[in-house]
Amino acid sequence: MHDRLWLFLATLGYLVSAGWGIYALGSQRPVANRWTFLLIAAAFACHTLFLHQRGEAIGHCPITNLFETLAFFSWSLVLTYLVVGPAYRMSILGAFTAPVVFLINFFALAAPIDLPSAMPHLGWQLELHATLALLGLGVLGVAALAGVAYLIQERQLKRHVLTSWFYTLPNVGRLELVQQRVLVWGFVIFSAGAFLGFFIPHQTSEDWVKITWSAVVWSLYAALVFVLWLGRLSHKKTALLSVAGYIFILLTFWGINSLSEAHVFPHVG
Amino acid sequence: MNAHIICGGLTFEEVPVELREKVAFREAQLPAALEEMRKILGLREAVLVSTCNRVEYFGATTQPEQAAAAWPEFLRRFHAVTDDFSPLSFQLHGVPCVEHLFSVASGLKSMVVGETEILGQLKDAYDIARVHGQTGKWLNRLFQSSFAAAKSVRSRTAITRGHVSVGSVSVELAEKIFGDLDGCRVMVIGAGETSERTARSLLGHGVRSILVANRTFDRAGALAAELGGEAVRWEEWEDRAVEVDIMISSTSAPHYVLTREKLEALLKRRERRPLFLIDLAVPRDFEPSINLLDDVFLYDIDDLQSIAHGHLRERQTEITRSMEILKPHVDRYMAWAVKQTGGPGADDGRTGWVPA
Repeated sequence: MHDRLWLFLATLGYLVSAGWGIYALGSQRPVANRWTFLLIAAAFACHTLFLHQRGEAIGHCPITNLFETLAFFSWSLVLTYLVVGPAYRMSILGAFTAPVVFLINFFALAAPIDLPSAMPHLGWQLELHATLALLGLGVLGVAALAGVAYLIQERQLKRHVLTSWFYTLPNVGRLELVQQRVLVWGFVIFSAGAFLGFFIPHQTSEDWVKITWSAVVWSLYAALVFVLWLGRLSHKKTALLSVAGYIFILLTFWGINSLSEAHVFPHVG
Repeated sequence: MNAHIICGGLTFEEVPVELREKVAFREAQLPAALEEMRKILGLREAVLVSTCNRVEYFGATTQPEQAAAAWPEFLRRFHAVTDDFSPLSFQLHGVPCVEHLFSVASGLKSMVVGETEILGQLKDAYDIARVHGQTGKWLNRLFQSSFAAAKSVRSRTAITRGHVSVGSVSVELAEKIFGDLDGCRVMVIGAGETSERTARSLLGHGVRSILVANRTFDRAGALAAELGGEAVRWEEWEDRAVEVDIMISSTSAPHYVLTREKLEALLKRRERRPLFLIDLAVPRDFEPSINLLDDVFLYDIDDLQSIAHGHLRERQTEITRSMEILKPHVDRYMAWAVKQTGGPGADDGRTGWVPA
């Protein structure tokens, strides 16, 4: 399909953004980080165009197969970055977001997973459930990336080794604030999406694989947010757990979505 | 008018402070000194720069030899001293003089390479001369070009990056831990000179609340009064430490004042926020393994000094790159100057645009 070209362009844009972002991290020029933001915003425009065209073509929210789901998932990550970056003066996070988004999109484009599905009528509740859950995962992703930036800065401060990244990365106070706020937002959105799923009448049998996976992910983050609220966890451990939780999501997302019955509809043609 | 741009004077590189202090100019003396210097040196335009590290003049003249010869005499007369400054004074003429001013403005010739205070001092010296009608088109253009050149060097190199004293490195680290230091509370343990300087640096960057604890309460009181803080009795410092974000210690205790065990107990009573510990004492006051605790950042005097030295080394490696950035600025000024004299053809070979 022609729409894939837009995703290809977006992916190329993320690759350039990733390269530039990493250069900007070490360049000691604050203006360089603004360029990272603009490059990502341009790639995001192509990414959005792809989702729009695909949505129009299939008459559904474009999450009908794994390819579309991955593209929507990475789109949520970038969308969160584009909101969090200017809001917290954290355009530097683009250097961490772009490589992850590039890898997800690259995998989506390279793997033979763009198989057309004959979707049953989803209904707005089901679409909202799925999009909110994916958006929540995107927000949790940015929290994890802020966690990575926090851990890098914290390590430099602990080891007394100040590289050029030390000057470019924000202070640990701001990083932990952003990381924890975004984490809570991600959890709230993901929870809303996940719980909405329980109230949707199912035409087929329950998708226990997906439900179990979602329950595990939700419980992990619920525990993290709870301990955070209690004030018992150090900032470092919060960041580490946020990153570990997200690595778990990234590693299992593919498998779960392949196994999940809800996303395996009869192939057309 | 064909003018020679010249400069000369005494710098810390050649002249010890015992001599420099004899001929330093106070700000209030500058207008009179400029007037007298212009007459004695035969300058059409003049700027006099007097800082802790240098006493230098910059001028536009038609008689560069006279200026060079008369400078030591001017210093002797104005300051009523008998020392002979001729062998200690440098004299530059034309391109090297322009390069010198641009390098000085960029902090390349400062004792602490890359320091930015010199640019402000040059601006002040130039303003005084300008306001008193001692500058004209040659020096106006020269100084304004030097400020632009310095700005360019600052923004395009790492020459000013990283702090090079224990106090300023501590501030830099504190800012990377807490961000804004506005709401930070500091405790000084032991009223030593280095800890006082470090506390002052932090105060200069927004810290509002300072507690001072010392074995001798009177000394704690005296330092607290000077810093605008509160004195704390020695028996109470551990209790009060719960309130603070930054602790600076420089006691002469032969053992650890703060052990890991003590700090772990203290952290339990404290809100969950980072703690920055600055240990300036030898032998050390804070047990080193404290640094292994989460959200605690411990730096001893060696750590801070090694960061400061590292920054200084990095700045020195930026000098060559800075000189390359200055070159087009120097060329532009020279091209402008040649144009003012009616081009190289109008030059009799003795103008300031030819290196002397």
